[in-house]
Amino acid sequence: MNCFFEGCGLALALSFCLVPANAEDLGDTWGTAKREREYYRIVQLAIPEGLVIEAGAFHRLPDNRMAIGTRRGDIYIVDGVDGVKPEPVFELFATGLDEIFGLEYKDGSFYVTQSCELTRITDTDGDGEADRFDTLSAEWGYENYHEYAFGSKFDERGNIHIALGLSQSYNSRALFRGWALTVTPEGKTVPMASGMRSPAGIGPNEHGALFYMESQGPWNSACSLKAVSPGSFHGHPVSLNWYEFAPELGPTPAQPKSGSRILIEKERVPELVPYAVIFPYIRMGRSISGFTVDRSGGRFGPFEDQMFLGDFSLSVVLRATTEKVNGVWQGACYPFREGLSTGILNIQFTPEGRLLTGGTNRGWPVRGIKPFALERLEWTGKMPFEIERLSITPTGFHVDFTKPVDVTTASDPGSYVLGTFTHIYHAGYGGPEVDQTKPVVESVTLSEDGLRATLVLDKLTLGHVHEFDLGAVRARDGEALLHRHAYYTLNAIPESR
Amino acid sequence: MLIPPAPRAVIFSLGLQLLSWLCLAPQVEAQVIVPGLAGDHALSEAQVGELLITELRCAACHEGISAIGATVPRAPRLDEASWRTSPEYLKAFILDPAGSHPGAKMPDVLARFDPEVREDAAAAIPAYLSVLAREQRAGPGSVFEREPVDAARVARGRTLFHAVGCIACHAPMEPAFDDGELPDTAAGAVGLGHVASKYSLASLSDFLFQPLRVRPAGRMPDMGLSRVEAEDIGSYLLAGVSMTEASDPVEVELAELGEALLQKLSCVSCHDLQGLSAPAPVTKGRNLDPNGGCLSADSKETPRYQLSDAQRAALRAALGTKAKEVSDAARIDQTLTAYNCIACHVRGEQGGVSLELAPYFGTSEPELGDAARIPPPLTLAGAKLNLEWMQRVLFDGEKVRPFMDTRMPQFGEVNLAHLPALFESVDHLDPLVPLGFDGDEERRAARDGARKLLGTTGLACVACHNFNGKETVGFKGIDLVTSHERLKFSWFKRFVVDPQEYRPGIVMPESWSGGIAAHTEILGGDTDKQISAIWDYLSLGRSARDPQGLSSVSQELVVGNRTRTYRGRSQIAGFRGIAVGYPGGLNYAFDANNGTLSGIWRGRFVSVRWDGQGAGGFNPSSRSIRLAQDLSFYKLKDLADPWPLKPFMDKENPINPDPQYPRNRGYRFRGYHLDQARTPTFMYSFGELHVTDKCEAFLEGERPVLRRLLSITASDPETIWFRALTGEVQALGPRAFKTDELEMRLERTDQHRLPVGETLLRFFGEEDPKQELLIQLNIPRGTSTWRIDYELLL
Repeated sequence: MNCFFEGCGLALALSFCLVPANAEDLGDTWGTAKREREYYRIVQLAIPEGLVIEAGAFHRLPDNRMAIGTRRGDIYIVDGVDGVKPEPVFELFATGLDEIFGLEYKDGSFYVTQSCELTRITDTDGDGEADRFDTLSAEWGYENYHEYAFGSKFDERGNIHIALGLSQSYNSRALFRGWALTVTPEGKTVPMASGMRSPAGIGPNEHGALFYMESQGPWNSACSLKAVSPGSFHGHPVSLNWYEFAPELGPTPAQPKSGSRILIEKERVPELVPYAVIFPYIRMGRSISGFTVDRSGGRFGPFEDQMFLGDFSLSVVLRATTEKVNGVWQGACYPFREGLSTGILNIQFTPEGRLLTGGTNRGWPVRGIKPFALERLEWTGKMPFEIERLSITPTGFHVDFTKPVDVTTASDPGSYVLGTFTHIYHAGYGGPEVDQTKPVVESVTLSEDGLRATLVLDKLTLGHVHEFDLGAVRARDGEALLHRHAYYTLNAIPESR
Repeated sequence: MLIPPAPRAVIFSLGLQLLSWLCLAPQVEAQVIVPGLAGDHALSEAQVGELLITELRCAACHEGISAIGATVPRAPRLDEASWRTSPEYLKAFILDPAGSHPGAKMPDVLARFDPEVREDAAAAIPAYLSVLAREQRAGPGSVFEREPVDAARVARGRTLFHAVGCIACHAPMEPAFDDGELPDTAAGAVGLGHVASKYSLASLSDFLFQPLRVRPAGRMPDMGLSRVEAEDIGSYLLAGVSMTEASDPVEVELAELGEALLQKLSCVSCHDLQGLSAPAPVTKGRNLDPNGGCLSADSKETPRYQLSDAQRAALRAALGTKAKEVSDAARIDQTLTAYNCIACHVRGEQGGVSLELAPYFGTSEPELGDAARIPPPLTLAGAKLNLEWMQRVLFDGEKVRPFMDTRMPQFGEVNLAHLPALFESVDHLDPLVPLGFDGDEERRAARDGARKLLGTTGLACVACHNFNGKETVGFKGIDLVTSHERLKFSWFKRFVVDPQEYRPGIVMPESWSGGIAAHTEILGGDTDKQISAIWDYLSLGRSARDPQGLSSVSQELVVGNRTRTYRGRSQIAGFRGIAVGYPGGLNYAFDANNGTLSGIWRGRFVSVRWDGQGAGGFNPSSRSIRLAQDLSFYKLKDLADPWPLKPFMDKENPINPDPQYPRNRGYRFRGYHLDQARTPTFMYSFGELHVTDKCEAFLEGERPVLRRLLSITASDPETIWFRALTGEVQALGPRAFKTDELEMRLERTDQHRLPVGETLLRFFGEEDPKQELLIQLNIPRGTSTWRIDYELLL
């Protein structure tokens, strides 16, 4: 019962007989909510009485209204999410659909990823209600519990990519469970990638490359962002059985060995894609779901062109940055905002550059106590002192800050407490952090503007999460970091120039 | 105790007469009104003086005068004043603030001028503001305009005004009961007699909707009104106002004089106005003449304040003491008085709803007693509530008492940011720590025990509390699952053991009277264990199983006056199932995966699973006729060719052995469209054939008939087979067949004349052979339509 959409056969069985002893504590909060609110406010968007809106997907429409697809299979069109004192107005556009986790819009039609299919939905007579539902793709098996489908927006070629969860979250008993498929603008469905476990979001990273969000579980000791490309294999071998139905992808990849490390297995299984950004379990979410990129032009604060991600269990929003090094994606994640009211299933920016979040708290452990909610995160305009990003150098890291740092604390190598760890790559559920190392910061160089510290480390360890605690660093005005931690997943080290 | 009826039930009868009566209320001694000071506050005379120093904004001119270092509350923004207020009122108000709005804090700033100059000055300032507003706001809204109000809205506004909390600072204008008397609470209340002459409906509604935008100081808080509610209350307050005259055009010279006056009279020391900046302070420190200046009743040199003798005395008392460190407890008292929190909340010895106002506080759960209608005490608030929760209540409008009519106002985060931390530092209870439960067995026992205690066979907490978003069958008190997020364990434990001590008068029973557990059979009757187990259980949120005694939420889908189409997994239609329900009570299911009509039933439509992890799967709500779920159309090679059945999986062989079925037999689902009655037409293809498939519901005599129209479009003539029925099939004629549950007829009409060839009734299946009825169709080029009637025999 650790991850979103997880372990449910067991939970269902138990729920009929006794109180689940495995209903878990959700771990400590970051404890930063009271400071976070100075910079990012959470504004409730009231849902009219009688409506149940368990948001699973959002889309911003050309007329700046927002569309919401729900777990209950409704599509609402919502006006007024950006109001200063918001009083959104909800119009039901379509109903009776099957758990919506993907929503897109083009030329008068919605493109809706439901568990059963990708559908183009249109209001042909203009009365405000959908009346035509064209099935664009149902080319995957949908026959078992837990077989969720998450759809992307259009990519630059007009494709929609659909990530398909495993059967019962452990097996692949129906066609292409654990795969990503691409539906082209011509209506063709093409198998793209295998080895997924329990995806909960798919879309571009800040550089436009396709990523999906994987949940902690077998072959995944923590949630992670992974880069998806034609032929990529994402680590869970149970779905390798469908390659005969995907001849365009060539031979079936080799089986990875359980109990190894992912970079070691990648040597044997070239199609295997290492986790680009690992989200250390509980500290950085435990059921990360939908994600989006800040293109608000600075209206959401200092994190333009970064990724934001929602977490279902902990009701938090996280932040991530990625970079491609030697052809491999990797990057870092950062705490952003806690204290949302329900389990977050998806997030999306509004026309005015606010972050709309929504979801539900039913079915799995969730910190937020509302059965469902729509909330808006907005920047107050006050600059938080944050680690803006971590990026790799041949000998260490650049640490960028949102505000100039204080020279005394920030130039002291002792202010940068680092550790590294990796996970066992194995068939078991989740797993501990292992192979810990303690890198030594040999030198710190501050940029003239005080916004960047360049760290030289005695050692960089490939395949490890590099964990940063910058609790001792102060801004020039003496302020402590709003969030002192950040986590960089290292798959490749650039060459020195 | 006797609970007066809620205002929602009150019929207001006296109406507008009272409103006009209030406007003519007898003159009382002139004074500045700070509603909290008229209430049951805890401040000494000197502290009252300190509060007045803040409320009168003395520090705007006298730097350092405030002993508590309070920031100056900003006076109303002037940018839009000429649009928001009538020019006549604005002029009259500047000329005589206390006369226009008794109790106003605004001093007479023209006291220094001769009467004639006063008139000009009072006209010049609005003139300038109006020019400014026109520059800033083009189009409608730049000019003050009255409009008529709607009587229905007046009535709604009257109810809201008396229910949501306005009356805590403004006196009620109607009695709480239809035969009751209007209580005399006007003294100390902020009068509303000026409102009708001051505002237009648009400007008043806008102000009520977002008061902090114009008055950032938060003394008039945001009551959480929707725009519609704000207009309702606005209509009520403006009822009976006559439509007046357009105002004269503004003279340019007058406007220029106005700008000069705004600067010279230091208006912008207190008010914000674009383009003008506050002048330097007049004095520094507290060393002021206690009888002169603003404190003299007839000063000609300074603004003249309408202060009562008592208020002057309080100010003198404050100025006579040395500025010293103010305790956190005193700062809390100051804040609660300044914002009049004490009108609704008790804190220790201070505050609380007065006897006169108490009848106006209503609830939808009267059986839960005063705790359901009177806002909770703030005694020990900081020891009771988590800091984050206080912030969410104060600044984000979070609430857990939907049954309470009165709303917790929002005073603005900037104004009360200090308060949660003050509560936390002042309010103390010796910390109590919940017992831990180690190991699976102990945890399970604790959770089982807690669930029993909460449920109806234990302490029946859910008899009066909602749980996890679900309503109880009893009274709908605070959702228990919010406890962990809101409360501190040290308070929670003390409270549940001795509710009366912590919420005097609450109807909550003592479940561990004297600390002794009533249910000795649960968790060994150990009070600590029981309360800790409940605390732990409440921390589980959604993963906590519901205690016994909650009403189960009906997830029955009801068909209204249009056809309803619903998709989801189902025993009767597979994972790609679609249920269709007609208004008359006939329903069918379509398996979109295999392209087959898979079930028919009459009566209630479907129930769906949306609780827990439920993905919205449906089941017919009435007894249903189950039809085959295999592919419906197929080209048989010969009469012995078996029908391609859907793949079979079981525990031993769970992986689909034919994963592309039935797409590999040529079938593809294409979707559906809805007609005006929202009845779906399914679209699918079989090879080159395109099929549309629509059912209508009819009643033939007493018997319901599902009439299915199938249209097949072919580019070339083709022969295929249609699998019409399975089970024990009996032929009634060449085109009519029957099972135990239904009769099926292929109807031939002028429009429905698809050439039907052979019919084949044969057995299939090895272990348990059944019949299948196959019908050969000779499809011509173009579109041909045929009709099948299914008559239900159930």
